[in-house]
This record gives sequence, structure tokens and C-alpha cells, in this order.
Amino acid sequence: MRISLEDVWHVYSPGTAFETVALRGVSLSVEPGEVLGIVGGTGSGKSTLAAHLNLLLRPTSGRVLVDGRDALALRKSELRRRVGLVFQFPEQALFAPSVEEDVAFAPRQMGLGPEAVEERTAAALGVLGIAHLARRPTRALSGGEQRRAAIAGTLAMRPQVLVLDEPTAGLDPFSRRELLGVVRRLREEGTSVVLVSHDLDEVAEVSDRLCVMEGGAVRAEGTPEEVFYGELALAPTTVRVAARVRESAPGLGRPVSYDETLRSLRALIGG
Amino acid sequence: MGPNGGGKSTLVRLLNGLLVPDSGEVAVAGHDPVTEPFEVRKRTGVLFQNPENGLVAPFVEDDVAFGLENLGVPREEMRRRVAEAIRSVGLSGYERREPHTLSGGEKQRVALAGLLAVEPEVLLLDEPTSMLDAPGRREVLRRIGGLRRSKTVLHVTHHLEELLEADRVLVINGGRLVAEVEPGRLMADAALLEENRLVPPTVPRLAADLGLGSCRTPEDLAGAVLRRVWEGSGAEIR
Ligand SMILES: Nc1ncnc2c1ncn2[C@@H]1O[C@H](COP(=O)(O)OP(=O)(O)OP(=O)(O)O)[C@@H](O)[C@H]1O
Ligand SMILES: Nc1ncnc2c1ncn2[C@@H]1O[C@H](COP(=O)(O)OP(=O)(O)OP(=O)(O)O)[C@@H](O)[C@H]1O
Ligand SMILES: [Mg+2]
Ligand SMILES: [Mg+2]
Repeated sequence: MRISLEDVWHVYSPGTAFETVALRGVSLSVEPGEVLGIVGGTGSGKSTLAAHLNLLLRPTSGRVLVDGRDALALRKSELRRRVGLVFQFPEQALFAPSVEEDVAFAPRQMGLGPEAVEERTAAALGVLGIAHLARRPTRALSGGEQRRAAIAGTLAMRPQVLVLDEPTAGLDPFSRRELLGVVRRLREEGTSVVLVSHDLDEVAEVSDRLCVMEGGAVRAEGTPEEVFYGELALAPTTVRVAARVRESAPGLGRPVSYDETLRSLRALIGG
Repeated sequence: MGPNGGGKSTLVRLLNGLLVPDSGEVAVAGHDPVTEPFEVRKRTGVLFQNPENGLVAPFVEDDVAFGLENLGVPREEMRRRVAEAIRSVGLSGYERREPHTLSGGEKQRVALAGLLAVEPEVLLLDEPTSMLDAPGRREVLRRIGGLRRSKTVLHVTHHLEELLEADRVLVINGGRLVAEVEPGRLMADAALLEENRLVPPTVPRLAADLGLGSCRTPEDLAGAVLRRVWEGSGAEIR
């Protein structure tokens, strides 16, 4: 499925002293089966944008389209099921007494039979590496464990579009890598993933396309290569190294991910 | 540092008396956090892993003032220190905002401002930069770097690059203290990193994978790469 935003504005607390214009005419689309990275500084509107993808927030003006149809015309429950959103603060997502029940909640809600619910729950817990925490009360988890439980809960819905808001904040480095592996696998299976993150290094690893937010507007958009090499101030560590080397060795190419960068630097040194 | 569920936040909670040890003793500046909570709390400031748990007041400015109020700081001085702390985290103009309406990084900055206003003797920071963008992260690290000359800082993080200037790194895994090392040694110890689900920062990792000596910044590494290229091609080494 394809989600597009057309000239979306979002104003919080309109007409009050706290009125905040969080989105200023954002237009973009999430294409089927792609990983779209959304980056940008603190308060630039990333979470607000993410919450529009399943209409958890409604645009103050502008439209959200799903496969060309106005998303407001879709049943809310259906939209929420097809577009799974994992919040920036995982605690907000965990409400069932145990991890297992929490992850099983959405599949059960979808009307699946007990076997299917169990199968999906076990699969999601396994993918996130928290099968051992299945029986644990959701209030008795470490920060990183909470994050993984929250992601598992959304994954169990098997959404067509998975929106992850800062999914690696609080994860240990191996878990961060494992999660990026999960994102790649989902893409291979045809799921679109929207990855909201302030960590450029990690966005560089998996994104097909990037959208850079600033002050509630899209400041730049394109492939990671275009965006990062177009504006080095936005670039992750790998690109900063490669760009510096390119000044003296323009043959290097424009690598972005860690592995690409390592490969091209090796090739340069080797020959 | 250490893997998720290793016990880092539990340690922080023991140090500030939120948890009571089943056995053993905890002392902060010589005081037991359980039997002398006031002595400990007036000397320590905590940033919780989830910044939402530290935000208690209706408005940002009250939240930042909270610690100072508890210490009985005079009004005028309090006002000055609160304004300065809010400014230093880049949130001037947010004084009358309600904390729950802030973005993730803004919440973390408010929590941090509360701590900076007080400048306690002991700072317990549980992943203080997890929601910050790169400039915010750099600024916080700079502030921590400045404070540590006169304060004790316990800084929990999953990013090894944030601890390069630390005196010591404690690695906690499975509830045990498994290592106590200098950051440079930790970074060079592949087995120790691997056992504890840690990864070195990108620049030293690339340098190691390329068989180049230790490098800190992207510029260092680019320079080392180019020197190697010039050596290989037999050209003059500049
Ligand atoms: N409920 C709300 N009421 C009023 N203003 C809000 C509300 N939620 C967010 N804002 C404001 O809208 C702007 C965008 O917030 P948003 O949460 O989308 O930022 P973000 O890019 O996700 O930032 P971060 O990286 O810090 O999470 C911020 O200035 C924030 O203060
Ligand atoms: N309230 C609780 N009741 C029972 N077990 C808990 C509770 N809080 C944490 N735990 C468990 O205690 C262990 C240590 O948790 P702690 O929060 O200290 O880990 P951490 O090192 O801070 O992890 P993270 O990096 O994920 O924040 C974990 O296995 C966790 O599941
Ligand atoms: Mg956000
Ligand atoms: Mg923790």
C-alpha cells in the first residue's frame, strides 16, 4: 500500500497561548515495500508526522491518502491495523498485565483464532529476542526490554506499513543491529517501514529513501546518497569519512552504509 | 554500559534509594540512601531513563525549579538559575509549556535543565542523550565534561563514543559487574565488547577493519586512508 501526505499542516492547541504549528505543508509518500527514513532535529515534527500516517493525529489542513483514497474514508480500525505505529515512548504502548498478553492483544482484536494468535505472538516475541520475557509483567521490564515488547506488539499485527518512532533509542548495540536486520527482512517480505530517528548512522544503514525534517517542513528528500552527499552537515560518520577521502581521491564513489564504505575504502587502499 | 536488562537502571535506583538492596550496602557520600534519604537526595540529582518519569510539575519552569525549591534556594536566585538552565538547554520560550506536550528530545532537555539548575554533587544520568539530536547530544556531553571536574558523574549509555573521556567504564551484565576498564582499553578489547553486546564507535571500527592505526575523528581516518593510498601508489607522502 502507498500512503501519501498532501500539503499537511498540523497545529497543536490552536487558538491558545500554546499554539504550535508542528507541520507546515508537508507532502511526501511512503511507497510500497520501501524503507523511508525520517530524520531531523529535536522538535522538527517527526513524531507529529509519524502519527499522521495512521491518522492517530488528523491534519489541521491537507490530506492523507491511502492508495489514492482519502484515509478519512477508511474505517479507523482497519487503518490502524494496516499501518502499525510504535510510539517514541514504549511505556505508552504497554498496558496488558504481561508481555505475552500485550503482544497477543492486537491479533486477538483482529478476530484471529487462538492458534493464529499464539503463532503470531510467539513469532513476534522470537523476532525481538524476548521469548524469555513472555510471562513477565509489562511494568517489570528494563528500558530496552520495554522497547522490544512494544515493537513486538505492533509486529504481531503484521501491518503493511510499520512506522517506528525512534525504535533503537535505549537498545544495546547488538540489539540495535538486530532490529535493523528485522527492518531489512520486513522489506524483503514486502512490508514498508518508516524509520523515524535522530541517529543518522543507523538511518544510513537501511533506508531506501530519506526525508529530512526541519521546523515542521521537509527540508530535503531523496536517496541517502543524494541527501547526505548533498549536505554533509546532515551526513552520518561513514559519509563524512568518505567525503573527506573523495576530496583527494574522487574515484572513491559515494558509499553510505558501513559495509559499502568499508568495501570502497578497501578497494581504494588495495589498488 | 552493558546489555539491555543488565542491571544499570537498577543500580541507579539503588543509589538514590528508590530501591532497597536485599543484601549488601550502598553509600553515597557516606550516607545510606535508605536510612538517610534526605542526606543523599540533597547531594544527588537523577535523570531517569524515561524522561517522562522525571517531569512532575504543570509547567516547564516549575519543573526546572523543582530541585531548587526543595533545597530552599531564595526566590531571586532561583529565578535566575532556572532561566539560565532553560536557556542552556536551548528551550527559552518554553517556560510556560506543559511538559507532556513536548517532543521526546524537548522532554529530555527539560529534565536535564532541572539537574543543571541544581548542579548537585553527584549526578546519576541514566541514558541522558537517548532522545537527543546530534547537536543536543554534543552540548550535553560538553556540559557533563565541564561538571565532572568538580562533581561525581555516573553516566549510563549504550554509546561508547560518549564515554571516551570517562575515568572508568563499568560493564554490567546479568546483574554482575563484569569489567572495570579505561574506555580506550574497552574499545580495543574485541572479546570484552562482544561478550557484552557492545560495538566500538564507527571511526575506530572502520580503522580497525581497514587495518589502520587508532583514529578518533572522520578527518583522522580519512587522512590515514589517504596516506595508505599514497604509500601504495609510491607517490610522495605529503
Ligand atoms: N501535544 C502538543 N501540544 C503542543 N505542542 C506540541 C505537542 N506535541 C508536540 N508539540 C510541539 O510540536 C513540535 C514538533 O513535535 P514532535 O514531537 O513532532 O517533534 P520531533 O521531531 O518528534 O522531536 P523529537 O526528536 O524531540 O522527538 C515541537 O515543537 C513540540 O513542542
Ligand atoms: N520492577 C521489576 N520487577 C522485576 N524485574 C525487573 C523490574 N525492573 C527491571 N527488572 C529486571 O531486572 C533486570 C535489570 O533491569 P534494569 O532496568 O536494571 O536493566 P538495564 O541495564 O537498565 O537495561 P536497559 O539497558 O534495557 O535499560 C532486567 O532483567 C529486568 O527485566
Ligand atoms: Mg519525536
Ligand atoms: Mg536501564
